[in-house]
Amino acid sequence: MLGHGPDDDEMTDDVKRVLHARFGDRTLTKAHVQFDIPENAPDGRFVPIFLETDLPQTPDHYVKAFHVIVDHNPDIYVAGFWGVPSIDTRIKMRRTSYVRAIAETNTGELYVSAKKVFVTLNGCG
Amino acid sequence: MATGDARVLLPPSITNGDAIYVRAIIEHPMDTGFFRTADGQPIPAFFINDVSVMYGDEQIAHFEWTSGVSRDPSVTFPLKATREAPVTVTWKDNKGGVYHQTVDVRFS
Repeated sequence: MLGHGPDDDEMTDDVKRVLHARFGDRTLTKAHVQFDIPENAPDGRFVPIFLETDLPQTPDHYVKAFHVIVDHNPDIYVAGFWGVPSIDTRIKMRRTSYVRAIAETNTGELYVSAKKVFVTLNGCG
Repeated sequence: MATGDARVLLPPSITNGDAIYVRAIIEHPMDTGFFRTADGQPIPAFFINDVSVMYGDEQIAHFEWTSGVSRDPSVTFPLKATREAPVTVTWKDNKGGVYHQTVDVRFS
């Protein structure tokens, strides 16, 4: 069986709660953050992810942080990276889930992108 | 290799003003606390939750991790090489472990 959640990228209540705890009522806009992640991840223990932005990085306006959210992980908020214009790392995924990349600017805007990743082997126990 | 063994890798040749990629790797189990051993004993959570990157005396990056980052975490990120100075990465885990690794940016 593939896919446990809804087919669109509607956020679950748990995800909304985690985002609200971290970002309050700030709006997330679908733009300006790109990420590479395999559509099919055979091993949920090691899922490569690369995040970047198409926003120009200027001294007055820049992306100050990237955040990684995995809807169906025990810890929904996986990691945050401050001070880098792009980041390449590996994360764990418990099962098939939406993965969300969030870029946060120094002026407080939040940009988001979501991708569904199919996971064959549980990476979280 | 043991927990806390770390490497910070830079390109072999760097010129002033280059955008270089820094790769930082550390040996760490990144245990979630959700697994058990073969004989049923729980494996407690043990993971790096805080990473900082210094370039000279300036903190240029800071990462906040959970156990959702894969074991033996590796990160690669760009850095604008504007001066000859050490790059120091410091990893801290949830049991008080602190690990450092330093590499010097030298212009060729």
